[in-house]
Amino acid sequence: MPHFDQTLDVKGAKCPMPLVKSRKAISELPVGQVLQVISTDRGSVADFQGWVKTAKNVELIAQETVQENGQELYVHYLRRTA
Amino acid sequence: MTFTQDQSTVTEISPRELYARLLSAQPLFILDVRNEDEFKRMPVEGHATLRTLNLPYYDFIEDEEAALARLPKDVEEVVVICAKGGASQYVAEVLNNHGYRAVSLTDGMIGWGNYYDTRDVVNASWGRIVQIARPARGDLSFAIISDGQAALVDPLRHINVYRELIESAGAKLTTILDTHVHADHISGGPALSKETGAPYYVHPYDAIHPIDMLPAVIAYEPLRDGQVFQIGQVRITTIWYPGHTLGQVNFLAETPDGGRYLFTGDGIFLRSFGRPDLGGKGEAWTPILYRSMFERLPRYLTDETVILPAHFSTLDEDAGNGIFAAPYKQVLSQNDSLKPRSLEEFTSFVLSHLPVFPPEYVEIKRVNIGLVEPCEGKASELELGKNICALAE
Repeated sequence: MPHFDQTLDVKGAKCPMPLVKSRKAISELPVGQVLQVISTDRGSVADFQGWVKTAKNVELIAQETVQENGQELYVHYLRRTA
Repeated sequence: MTFTQDQSTVTEISPRELYARLLSAQPLFILDVRNEDEFKRMPVEGHATLRTLNLPYYDFIEDEEAALARLPKDVEEVVVICAKGGASQYVAEVLNNHGYRAVSLTDGMIGWGNYYDTRDVVNASWGRIVQIARPARGDLSFAIISDGQAALVDPLRHINVYRELIESAGAKLTTILDTHVHADHISGGPALSKETGAPYYVHPYDAIHPIDMLPAVIAYEPLRDGQVFQIGQVRITTIWYPGHTLGQVNFLAETPDGGRYLFTGDGIFLRSFGRPDLGGKGEAWTPILYRSMFERLPRYLTDETVILPAHFSTLDEDAGNGIFAAPYKQVLSQNDSLKPRSLEEFTSFVLSHLPVFPPEYVEIKRVNIGLVEPCEGKASELELGKNICALAE
């Protein structure tokens, strides 16, 4: 698990909310810090990859899938770069 | 702008309404807000009057003004589409706030992919022939209903569609026919047979997986060439037509008013024909297909015999009323791939027009003869994307 500074829990939120909330949280994060986003939305994996290709100040450091109480969690690590 | 899905006021368009619009060939603008890979894998397709733009929803989240600037200014209405119907509501709301008239497709591509369209091919005193289409995949199936009896040809995976159709017609399902063991989609035949007790017929040559060489473990009745089924007043004759698969058959339905209807499965398509390589033996099966196409089948057909295939490739094959069928004479005149060729010419034509071989097609054939039993999620994943059963244009 990469180092992170803050966590955003969007479990249960459906598309597009994981990304809407992540964009907002990243904008409020100091430059250089890392945000961990915990989602239950499987589509968020590909969508975060697509988003950071054109996003102005976001870098996707890592993604992982973990099991918790029988459900899959999709965890994203985003760094604010500028 | 604040956005919560529960309070969205965006107008929705149902898959049924979308399909009517696509068929009508009126100008239509679709904004597909899925990511690029998902869009490329399965876009919504229509006539030449359809314009489609792929602009992922996160582009609107990242830079709303820049995304809006990429939209054409001359569109009256925008149909916004995403994977499940959430992101499309978000984007439609953004568009509506900027002077566009935008609607969101209900349940997104999941709703579209699982939408079935049912309409009569013919409705006469002796009974009905009904086309049941799954438009997103280009899959077609049929019901023959006469005197309270019903037969199904190539039923698709969502079997309630057929049960409701037959029940509302006040008929009883007596016969389930598959023209072949399909590679591109999961058949509803075995499940319907299990639930209703009606026998499921498939040719025994298709009951062996062509690549695994393993026999079927589903319950089925073996079809044979020339076998006849009587469904009320309709007589259905089985015509063995090997090539696309070794056990492919066509079913010729003859009605009391002299009508002839050929359920050809992946035999003849309106603009192409079924590729002979999905069993992994394209070079060996091509001459077999040649004999089926040019020697075996034509003697059963008249110019007026209506050809009803199991797939369409584009909506342009619509006869004008949502029915994907045409008389044999017309098919011959508009389908270049059926023109007379020597075996050598035919072979080189086939081998130079083979599209990609989707890897999941091997697994789907396993499912269809019971070697594998997928859960609902896996089943719908296997059926993602449009069928690729025809030769390439």
